[in-house]
Amino acid sequence: MNRYRWLALPIAAAALAVVPWFTSDTIVQYGINALLVATLAQAWNIIGGFSGYPSFGNSVFYGLGTYGTAIAMAQLHWSFGSGLVFGAVLGVACALLFGIPILRLRGPYFAIATLGLAAVMSAITATVEIAGKNIGLILPLFRGDTLFYELSLILLVAATGTVAWIARSRFGAGLVAIREDEDAAQVMGINTTTYKVAALTVAALFSALAGGIHAYWITFIDPASAFDPSLNVRMVIMTLFGGPGTVLGPVLGALILSAVSEVLASQATGVASLFYGIVIVAAVLLMPKGLLDLVQGFRDSGWRYFVDNVRRYRI
Amino acid sequence: MTEPLFEVRGLTKRFRGLTAVSNVTFRVAAREIVGLIGPNGAGKTTIISLISGTLVPTAGDIVFEGRHIERLPAYRRARLGIGRTFQVMKPFPGLSVLENVTVGALFGTGGGERNRTRAEERAREWLKFTGLERRMDQRADALGGPDRKRLEFAKALAMNPKLLLLDEVMAGLTHVEVDEVVELIKKIREKGVTILVIEHVMKAIRRLADRLLVLHHGQQIAEGRTDEVLRDPRVVEAYLGKRRQ
Repeated sequence: MNRYRWLALPIAAAALAVVPWFTSDTIVQYGINALLVATLAQAWNIIGGFSGYPSFGNSVFYGLGTYGTAIAMAQLHWSFGSGLVFGAVLGVACALLFGIPILRLRGPYFAIATLGLAAVMSAITATVEIAGKNIGLILPLFRGDTLFYELSLILLVAATGTVAWIARSRFGAGLVAIREDEDAAQVMGINTTTYKVAALTVAALFSALAGGIHAYWITFIDPASAFDPSLNVRMVIMTLFGGPGTVLGPVLGALILSAVSEVLASQATGVASLFYGIVIVAAVLLMPKGLLDLVQGFRDSGWRYFVDNVRRYRI
Repeated sequence: MTEPLFEVRGLTKRFRGLTAVSNVTFRVAAREIVGLIGPNGAGKTTIISLISGTLVPTAGDIVFEGRHIERLPAYRRARLGIGRTFQVMKPFPGLSVLENVTVGALFGTGGGERNRTRAEERAREWLKFTGLERRMDQRADALGGPDRKRLEFAKALAMNPKLLLLDEVMAGLTHVEVDEVVELIKKIREKGVTILVIEHVMKAIRRLADRLLVLHHGQQIAEGRTDEVLRDPRVVEAYLGKRRQ
């Protein structure tokens, strides 16, 4: 059985790839959103889950990807491909530029600085002429949900493949060491600054590409939706729910939570708005290491797993 | 003395008004074990932090294998071959013992072994060497006191250091455990590693150190062969106070 385990991933990806030919438009549209959010969670996993830096600036990279693509297509009349590249360049440049000073801060200070970055970026965008000020931009209309779905899936597979490589690489071992004890990591020969900036940059690349795809699909963007901090909160919740620092946890977390919240939004609107709040409280209390750890822990110790967690973290 | 592996000249560290280390100068030859002793607050850990690069000196030179390193960041010094342990131990708590040591093998001197499988093999050897093999799969934060010290050793050793800085590795150990660690340190020296060791356990330092450097209030008050230094009245005074006339 174990010999064939690696086959599970390509099979799952192939199964997801054929979804548009067998289901309705609504499901495909829901799928695009879910896949993009899963990509964002996976990207957050690199900086937040592996390196342990709780970034609230990933929505900035997403926003820059969104605006880069929109400006390129709506104002400069470039192709979608060039737009995506332009958005990715903006996101990566932002990570390189602000990563170096911001990643010197640790823990809550880092989180607050990234939160500040998000607010500033949104405010700046709303004053820039070429970005359509606070009105936003309208992209050329292109109807092709299947194409957007497949693009989103490819991006998610690429992000997950990257994380799978990180998890086995020397680079990943360095990131995890930084998460566990940065001072010890440094005296063991890890260039912590370069590693952290590299992690943030890779996260920025995937976030910006997701933003670019979303912009062209949704065709209308404005500062409030592109730099929405609650999107970043969702990335965090989904990653923590699935299992930070694991390869598949963030993807599972994102797909499960988007499905549940989608159902709630149509069936019970009142509960839906509370949903993420409830999930985060429950996850922190009962399964602070995520879904994958829960599966393992439940197999080993049954219901005691929850009791042990509550005790261990003295809540 | 043969050509020194490393040398400290006029090393000084001030924290605002407090001078933690003042004008300290010494040399360490390859394969030597030098003990750094002195009462609490004498500046011993500060010296180790200055050499490993965790702190930046206010003044003075640190020369390692003929090269000035006092301005290099800590990770560069680790790559040159300087490994250290921490008095307040710093394991990677959420990782297994094997993973902890593998980090040392993956990085460390010369950038380490870049292949993760081979680094893991090397880590296993160091776990055997330090007697931690049976704890390999445990999480580091599940280890008891003595095993945590062994882990600090194993992590630093896996870096394949030329110079190992040991910060009070015997504090809180029983007599038997102290004997074990003394033997371990001797075994490490036999592998060609030079060692600078901070220690309060006198019995251990007497058996280990070729030479001693004594610090008091950040000043270097004595330096020389272990037996001579321990008879020096200034050293006895710093430790036990002045004899009443």
